[in-house]
Amino acid sequence: MVSAMVDVADVQGNILQGYRHPRVRHLILSVGDAAEARAWLGATVSGAGGVPQVTSQAPWDEKPSTCFNIGLTFEGLRALGTASQSLASFPTEFVEGMTARALKLGDIGDSAPERWPAPFDKPRDIHVIVSVHAKEVADLDRVQRQALQNARTFRLLGVREGFNFHGDYVHFGYHDNISQPRFAEIHDPEDYPDPQEMAPLGTVLLGYPNNFEGLLWHVPDPVELGHNGTFNAFRILAQDVVGFENYLTEAAKYLLTQAGVDELLPPGAETKIGAGLSREAALREIVAAQMCGRWRNGVPLAVSPDTPDPATPIPEKQLNNFDYAANSSCPYSSHIRRTNPRDAQIVQRVANNSRRLVRRGIPYGPPYDPAKPDGVEAPERGLLGNFIGASLGAQFEAMCTDWVNVGLQDPRVTGSNDPLIGANAPETGWFDVVLKSGRTFRLRSLPRFVRSRGGAYTFLPSVSAIRYLGSLGK
Amino acid sequence: MAGLADRFEQFVKKLPETKIMKFVAGRILVPIWASRTPVKPQPGGPHYSVQSGDNVQRMMNLIMPLKDKSAVGRAEAALAIAQNKDEIYAGLDNVGTVHFARFVIVGENICMFSVYDGDFTNYIRDFIATIGCVFDAVVKLVEGGDAVIPSETHVEKFIDWVHAHDLYQVSDQATDLFRDIEAVNGETAITRDLRLLPRDLILQLHVNPNVSLGSGYRAYPGYSVAEVRKQFGIGW
Amino acid sequence: MDDTPSQNCGAQSPSAKNTASPDPSPSQLVDAIIEDFPDHRPGTRPIHTIGIGVGGYFEASDIARNYCRAEHFGGQRVDVSVRFSNGSGSPVQHDGWNDVRGMATRFHLKNEAATDLIAMTLNGFFVRTTREFIDFTTAARQQPVKKETPWQKIWDMLQLKQPLRDPYPGQKESGDAGTLEYANAHPFAQLAVFQAGSIGAPVSYVRAAYHAVHTFIVTGEDGVRRPVRFAWKPVAGVCNTDPDAPPEDDYLQGELRERLARWPARFLLMMTIGESGDALDDPTVPWPAKRVRVVMGTLILDTVPADQQAAAEHISFNPWRLVDGIEPSNDPILLARRDAYEDSRKRRGGTACPFNRSGT
Repeated sequence: MVSAMVDVADVQGNILQGYRHPRVRHLILSVGDAAEARAWLGATVSGAGGVPQVTSQAPWDEKPSTCFNIGLTFEGLRALGTASQSLASFPTEFVEGMTARALKLGDIGDSAPERWPAPFDKPRDIHVIVSVHAKEVADLDRVQRQALQNARTFRLLGVREGFNFHGDYVHFGYHDNISQPRFAEIHDPEDYPDPQEMAPLGTVLLGYPNNFEGLLWHVPDPVELGHNGTFNAFRILAQDVVGFENYLTEAAKYLLTQAGVDELLPPGAETKIGAGLSREAALREIVAAQMCGRWRNGVPLAVSPDTPDPATPIPEKQLNNFDYAANSSCPYSSHIRRTNPRDAQIVQRVANNSRRLVRRGIPYGPPYDPAKPDGVEAPERGLLGNFIGASLGAQFEAMCTDWVNVGLQDPRVTGSNDPLIGANAPETGWFDVVLKSGRTFRLRSLPRFVRSRGGAYTFLPSVSAIRYLGSLGK
Repeated sequence: MAGLADRFEQFVKKLPETKIMKFVAGRILVPIWASRTPVKPQPGGPHYSVQSGDNVQRMMNLIMPLKDKSAVGRAEAALAIAQNKDEIYAGLDNVGTVHFARFVIVGENICMFSVYDGDFTNYIRDFIATIGCVFDAVVKLVEGGDAVIPSETHVEKFIDWVHAHDLYQVSDQATDLFRDIEAVNGETAITRDLRLLPRDLILQLHVNPNVSLGSGYRAYPGYSVAEVRKQFGIGW
Repeated sequence: MDDTPSQNCGAQSPSAKNTASPDPSPSQLVDAIIEDFPDHRPGTRPIHTIGIGVGGYFEASDIARNYCRAEHFGGQRVDVSVRFSNGSGSPVQHDGWNDVRGMATRFHLKNEAATDLIAMTLNGFFVRTTREFIDFTTAARQQPVKKETPWQKIWDMLQLKQPLRDPYPGQKESGDAGTLEYANAHPFAQLAVFQAGSIGAPVSYVRAAYHAVHTFIVTGEDGVRRPVRFAWKPVAGVCNTDPDAPPEDDYLQGELRERLARWPARFLLMMTIGESGDALDDPTVPWPAKRVRVVMGTLILDTVPADQQAAAEHISFNPWRLVDGIEPSNDPILLARRDAYEDSRKRRGGTACPFNRSGT
């Protein structure tokens, strides 16, 4: 099939390429007056009447100081007056919404939607999620004022704000945002050395071929509503940094008692892990690296199994340039290998590459400072995540159900969950630290480090679709 | 008088076995109670769960009524399977999560019974990707099937359709029927009267004529296809 | 979970619970049961009163020790004493009545140590806590049985409602109406009440499956701890009497004597491994059949000791009589059984555990 050229000016921004603004504010809105909300949507296409203009993926000469984007839940589409025939053409998982899919996503126990704070405790009230990206808080405030100038149009249910306090680093101390699908229509392969194939546009846009040969996701009706749109799993993921760091210590102490630990960390090799590290501290970093699949600085274990600082430094751009050979040093249960097995042998051979996602995440909450331990009332910190793909069912949910949790892709991990983001519980949670010989040390009592604290499935309509929705009822 | 009372009691005791009472129960009482206390059909297939034991060796019981119910129509279905043996076996090998699968003709239905690991939608989607054409060949012979083929371009609809044909799995614990009814009909719909549990089952069977009784027996529960294959040293 | 290997026979006191009103004491629990059976004879068990003791041995499977390092799963033959019983606390024997049956097993270990496994034909308990237990036993007190009139039965039929079982000949009182009422108000009790209501009578004590119901934590030879539940599966198969035939009052003990005189009876010990998310501490919820199931060994019963006073009456079991490799879970009912069983043993003068360090 000939890949149709895409009109990037019709695609909302931050989908095919990230903005990389350091601040994001998500405004969680309920439609107050449907007619006014439609007029508002129509106005965002051009920025008429002082309403912020929706940012498209059209290339810019100069990075704008603010970007403005719109996501709609199924209830939002309904509240806006979308025709029932059109509503019925959306996929089941989007219609049901994120909270109905909790068990598929591992949102159980403390992460169950019933435990989510407002406004996520009333998922049916959430209609629109507006995302503002900027460098300065003042810009966020200004755009918010402009967007919500008419109090009747929307009710502001809640706000979630993220800040990249340290470049692309996340609270657990890892360099994130390294691996993303790249698109031949957008990206120059020279700039992104990566043995993974360029992703077809249908990975992330409706109306184009995807990674499954011959399969096409249904484009919601009418075509001007569905085409060039995509779906987003917006997730508020609290990270238990203290619990994580404590577990690393426990794991290191345990490993020190095990015969054969020298194979994992030959005596004297501590300095390769980090200057001045004790044996325990070095083992902590090894465990952290094996859980993620990368050292905390982003260097992949598949490339540099013994040290985060190889003699020949790995430039930022080369951090994705690896595959999982049969004897890869990247543990098969590590986070990056579970969520994206690349070309590794997996049980569901049909599914290699089919569940890739675009990830746009940003930390929220204060950075963790080990020198100043949290008080009794630990502040919540975590990640505001957007997991974007043309099929929530085939990508985000498929990844969560069988790979992040359960671990069906490899019999060596089946029955365990992703060590970083999985729905683990100390009674049964485990993770295998893998040695070069193939031997493993099983770390047990693995608790859950990432809790869901809210979220919603949204549809990210194209610019044309926003115009279309604005014209409904006229 | 005592004799008469005794005879009446004996009569009532045997009443449920009589033809007339069976007729009354099946043809009159069930429709009456079905209209007085409406029951929605329970969704098919196993419940969602994050527990690994629940996510391996899941059972699919598809019952699909044939359009042509004659021997000719049934032979057509048999032929559709027979002609696609390579496709089916290659597909099953590469989907990688199927323990057992078989096609069966029962009365006027073509049935597919399988035991698979993991999420249902993933299973069917992967299947469409490898042997969508076989699905199409079978489903086009089935009532309502035309609306969801070709499966490759009706993936979401096709998966929903298959799910709708997967049998409800009555819980292994009798009283969990209350829980299932509550999940589908809402809390107000249930009586929670143990003596009415049989009626709840009857009314469910009234709207859902084919069901799987329990989640099924497993000789070695808790293990995936690949775990079994790896353990036996036959590759995965 | 404490690390002290338990040979504890009720020597420790239950850990204090942080609740406003105190939980019922062990003797209150025993009193509550006794009140359900007005004809209870002092000096006998308050429940599972009528039973028979048998002897035999247990042979662990070759992989049992991988999951549990306890001595009786080591692979060598271990002598056992088993007591089968009817659930009722009445001294009047009604083998053929609908009733839960019990199977208490004592594994005789080296140096006169022992461990017990107590099981019953229900696969779940009625309540989750001791306070619920008091409420349940209150509800279950004997009331005069009311036989449904033919007209009521017809009305049941018209409602597609399960008719009430007619009382057995001679049966004047029953706790069934009360338990049914309790279950309809307390969903957690429904499964056990529903199953108990139609559990029937086995043709033989060794033709029923017995479930230990509570979760225990076993430790394997590699130190890995797992939450598990045990069940005995009869090799002869499960078989009940015809529920429509008039019940016989006295056949189970005789049947067992005759059977074991001819050939041994065998049970498979199955152990199911729970997962996080399963009802680890709630005995009212059976685990799904989809959990990993391990064959732990085979029990062979071949003798009926002549001294039934010792084998069936004086012998005292306790679910907390455990050995290194098996620990109790945090199930509140399991916790309560420890001291309630001990209280009951003392009342009827049962044989004390030789290792009871508190000297009671």
